[in-house]
Order: sequence, then C-alpha cells, then structure tokens
Amino acid sequence: MPKNKRSKSNKKKQKNAVKPLFSFKNHEQAELFRQRQWVKLFAEVTFKIRQHLKFKEILNATVTEVQRILQADRVLIYQIFPDGTGRAISESVLPNYPKILDLEFPEEVFPTEYQQLYAIGRVRAIADVSARQEGLSECLIEFVHQFNIKAKMIVPILQNLNSHQQNEISSPNQLWGLLIAHHCDRPYKWLDFELELMQQLADQIGIALSQAQFLEHLEEIVEVRTAELQEVNHNLQQEINDRKQAETALRQSEEQLRLITNALPVLISYVDENQYYRFNNKAYEDWLGKSLSEICGSDIKSVWGNDCYSRMQSHVKLALLGQTITYENEILLKHGLPCSVNVTYIPDVDEHKNVKGFFSLTTDISDRKAIERMKDEFISVVSHELRTPLTSMHSALKILATGKLGSLSKDGQQILEIADDNTERLVRLVNNVLDLQRIESGEVKMEKQICNISTLMIQATETMQPMAQHHGVVLVVEPIDMNILVDSDYIVQALTNLISNAIKFSAVNGKVWLTAENRPNVEVLLSVCDEGQGIPSDKLESIFERFQQVDSSDSRRKGGTGLGLTICRNIVEQHEGKIWAESTLGKGSTFSFTLPLLNV
Amino acid sequence: MPIKRILIVDDEESIQTVVQFGIQMVVDWQVLVASSGMQGIKTACDQKPDAILLDVMMPDMDGIATFKALQSDPQTAQIPVIFLTAKAQTSERRQFNDLRVSGVITKPFNSLDLPDLITKMLDW
Repeated sequence: MPKNKRSKSNKKKQKNAVKPLFSFKNHEQAELFRQRQWVKLFAEVTFKIRQHLKFKEILNATVTEVQRILQADRVLIYQIFPDGTGRAISESVLPNYPKILDLEFPEEVFPTEYQQLYAIGRVRAIADVSARQEGLSECLIEFVHQFNIKAKMIVPILQNLNSHQQNEISSPNQLWGLLIAHHCDRPYKWLDFELELMQQLADQIGIALSQAQFLEHLEEIVEVRTAELQEVNHNLQQEINDRKQAETALRQSEEQLRLITNALPVLISYVDENQYYRFNNKAYEDWLGKSLSEICGSDIKSVWGNDCYSRMQSHVKLALLGQTITYENEILLKHGLPCSVNVTYIPDVDEHKNVKGFFSLTTDISDRKAIERMKDEFISVVSHELRTPLTSMHSALKILATGKLGSLSKDGQQILEIADDNTERLVRLVNNVLDLQRIESGEVKMEKQICNISTLMIQATETMQPMAQHHGVVLVVEPIDMNILVDSDYIVQALTNLISNAIKFSAVNGKVWLTAENRPNVEVLLSVCDEGQGIPSDKLESIFERFQQVDSSDSRRKGGTGLGLTICRNIVEQHEGKIWAESTLGKGSTFSFTLPLLNV
Repeated sequence: MPIKRILIVDDEESIQTVVQFGIQMVVDWQVLVASSGMQGIKTACDQKPDAILLDVMMPDMDGIATFKALQSDPQTAQIPVIFLTAKAQTSERRQFNDLRVSGVITKPFNSLDLPDLITKMLDW
C-alpha cells in the first residue's frame, strides 16, 4: 500500500475532509479499501476484545494488525509503570530492525510531565524525528536512533475512557501506556486516518484493559470466594473426617461394650421412660429364646408377660422416678424354666434431673436361692424336730420338779434345776432360730395394722414384769398416745427382747425405762434404757449380729441365745425402721429404734 | 364339775407319757392315749372323750386328715379338737382356724400347763 502524504490533527475535520480530497478513481478505491481495512481491523480487534478477553492476545493482535495496515516498520505497546519506568510489552517489527520488546526504559525516557500531557489526550505524529521543528531533544534523537526510528506516532492508552469504570479507581483518565508506530527506513508524514485508527485502537485497548482488569478483579473476587469456599469446604471435610473418626471411635467403643456385655452371663439392658427396651445384651436372646430384634424396641410388659410384669411394675415405676432399686423376682426362661433373679435398676438422670430411662441388670440367683431354701428348710426341719423331744424333756423335768414323783436330795434338786434351766434355754434358742429364719427368709410377712404405741409398750412391760421382779429390777414405762402402722406381735417381741436384755444386765434395784418420743421427721423413737454395765463402743454395732455378745461368758451366765438383737433388727428393718445402741461403760446402755408414722 | 376325759393322739410315746403325767398331776382328768390317727378315731368313737389333743405331724395319717375324718363322722364331729404342733406359723394357724379347730398348742409346751390352757380354750 502506498504511503499517504496527508495529515490533519483534528479527527472531525479529517472525517469531513476525506471524501472531497480523494476524487480520483484510484485514490478513491485505495481510500475505500483502506476504509474497509480500517473497519475490518477495527471489527477484528473489537471482536477479539469481546471474544477472548485475553488482554495479551488483544495487544499482540493489535500491534500485528496495525503494523500490517499502516505498513509501519514497527508497532509496539509501551506500558508505563507507577514509578515512571516503562516496558514494551507487545511488538510487531519487521525482521531487519532491532526489537524493543521487553526492554525496560528508565523514567527519564518518558518523564512525568510528558505523561501528564498524554493523560489529557495528547497525541504525537512525528514525520521526522531528526527535524528541528519537531522539537525533540538531542538525547532523545540519539536514543531513538538506536532503534532506527525515523518517524513515529504516539497515542496514549487511557484507562476508563468509557463506561467500563471500576469503582476503586477514582481518576477517569489514567495513562496506562502508549501505542507507538515507527517507520525506520525513512521519515514519514503520518496521515490523519492513520492517527485516527491508532487513537481508536488505543481506545479499544483501553476498553480491553478495563475489561481485563474488570475480569481480573472478577477473577480476584472469584479467587477469593473460591479460596473461601475451599476453606469452608476444607473445614467441612475436616469436620466430616472428625465426625467419621468420632463415629468410628464410637462404633468401636460400642462394639467393645457390646462384646463385653454379650460375654457376661447376666441380663443387661436400657429401658426408656416409656418402658421400651433400647438396648439388650445377647443374654436376653439366650435366656428368653427370643431374637434381640424382637426384644429391643418392645415394651418390657410384652417381653415378660403380664404375670411377671405385675411383679416388676412397681419397681420399674420407682426407677423411673429416679430411685435405684434392687429386688428379687421369679422369671420364666425359654421352655418355661423358672429362674430366681436379682434385679437392679439404676435410673438414667440427665443434667436437668429428668429421668430418661434406667439401666437394668439381672443376675441368676437360682443356685443361691436353692441353697437358701435348703438352709431354711434345714433350720425349719431341725427346729421342728427338736421341739418334740424338747416338749418331752421340758415337761418331764417340770413334772420331776413338782416333787410329786418323789422328793430329791438338795443336790439332786440343784441338778434338776440346771437341767430345767437349760432346757428352757434350749427352747428359747430353738424358738429364736426359727423366728429369725422365718423373718429373714421372708416366710413371715409383717401384718401391719394401726395400733396405739402405748398399748404395745404396756403389753411388753406387762410381759416382762415377772422377769423384772425376779431380777429385782424396777421397770418404768412412759407411754405416749400415738397411732402407728405395725405388726403389733413383732413390735412387742422386739420390745420384750430389748427389755429382757436390759433386765438381764441390770443390777438388783436397777431401773429399766421404756420410753417413746414423737420425732419431727415423721417417725417414732422407742428406747429401752438401763443402768447396767454398758457396752464397749467397738461392740455397739456387732452386738446386732447373730451370736455376737459383749462377753461370751454372758451367754452362759445370763441364759441368752445370742439371737435376740438380730431378731429385733430384722423386725425393725421389716418395718422400715432403724435400730442402734448407745452406751457409757459403767453407766448403762440405751437401745433405740425408729418406726415410720403410719407409713402404709 | 364332772371328770373330764381327754384323748391324746401322738405317735411319740414320750409325749403321750408326759401329757398323761402332766395333766393328771394337776387335775383329776382321765387321759386316753392313741399312737396314730386311725387309732385315735377308733378311740374317739368308742370312748367319746370331752376333748382331743391331736398331733399335726404324724406318719401315715396326719393330724389334719384325722381331724377331717373326725369331723365327717357324726359320732365324733362334736368333740372339740386342739392341735399340738411344732409349727407355729401364722399361715398354719389360719389353716387350722379355717378347719374350725378349737385351739392350737405349740410345741414345746410344759404338760403341767395343759389343763389350764385347755380349760381356757374350751371355756370349761
């Protein structure tokens, strides 16, 4: 393409002037061709801006196309950095000229004052860099000669020339760089059209730049968001991993727990507040012959049946009220085998003191029960069998003692008395052993009725009056008028046992008191107090154990059985009361027990 | 008061003896003895005693069976029966009460006390 020798600085003037100036046909055609090229180039660059949004590509395409269309020897894009230095970042240059691409230029090459001029839209079209009228300094002329530059055109690339403004940037016309065209073979008079093309493309680069920055900004945001999301993702993943680990640990611990509970020959379960099984160990399957899936999730009533449940119900209710309960029950195993069990319910109470359910532990005590039954039966049989010969001995000795069958010598009577006393003692012993066995085995149930304490106290005192008189002991009773719910026979038995002990250990003319006191915590306190020798403090508890006496010689001397206090304790405990002894050595002892007031 | 006639039914000979001795030492009653339930029923039919002291635990025919047999026979149904037992549980006492026995005396007892106990139980 021939080089056009026309130039105008004003774009509008140039546009208006184009048509009348090129009236010749070849000129007209050339102009039309250039116009088309211009439109095409412009369209291409615009297309690339819209299509790729890749700034570097746009720059490269721009310099290549401009160089081609302008037939320039070199077209480059020079970027200016904030410190005033600059660098050619894109270049299209004919092979026989030196490359400027990627060369760094110091600030002196393009001082700030020049930058400011370009920032407000200055363009330069220099036909001959050496020509004096162009006003280039000698040093610059020398500088440009390094790159064989004869003619040059410079247009600014400004940011924010259009609507692609970014909020962060306050200045609307910031100089980003320069679009520069060179002719290196000779000076050249730039055409207005060429200048306009350069300006238009510089504008497009500005737009591309804004878009690229906008994109970069978007990408930055996306990057930040992506990083945030990745962080969140990572945290989530970490949490998932943590939970998985916790789950695994939990599963392992559950498995371990199940392994342990399954290995134990006891029933272990968890029952919820609605009396449904939530956990059962394998023993349930083995004992009941039902599958665990059948048991777990079912209510205890359906698992055990109405009959068995009726014996469990009250304990279950207490457990669900927050009480730890232990009781014995008779259950039926698979194939209808009966089994005695000891059952413990431990309530599951949360931090707000709500009962969520209870843990249940059931152990087979059939063997123990069988032994207990054997023991009870043995004691019972022995005691009963002892009674018949005792009756004969007792009666025979009493008959002999009447003297009606012939009188005995004084020594003979003494020996007979020993036999009689010890027979009586044996009778008491047998009676006590049997009493204790019955109470302990639960064979006898306390038949509680409402009675007046004073009646019981007087009854016990009257029973013991002959013994007191015999021992020369004064029996003092201070009854109170109050109703209690007790088995009167057994309470009288407990009182007479205590009074009997007190008399036995009192000196002649000693006093024994039977007193009662209404205690504020809804119970009555009954006490038997003596002025006897007292009990050492280390024996105060053990004397309630069977056959435990303060001094083993006491037993023989006082004719005791060693079971009286044990029977008392059993009777009192069957009434949900407490019994204890207090004593001062040489001063006397007090045996006291409590009974709940009208506790049904 | 006419002389009372008491029948003691117990398989233990020593009990028979001490009961006989004990009663007769205290009061002027006649004491009849029988060593088994069957023998006791026969003696009761023959002699019509004023009261029967019946041991509960006897081999072959125990006291309860003997009592039921006595009750079922119009000849003996009216004779008051007092059980002698080594078992003194409440449940057993109730069982005896249900049988409408006249009383229960628990072993071991002192046979010298028997006349007094019997008199009280039978309102003599």
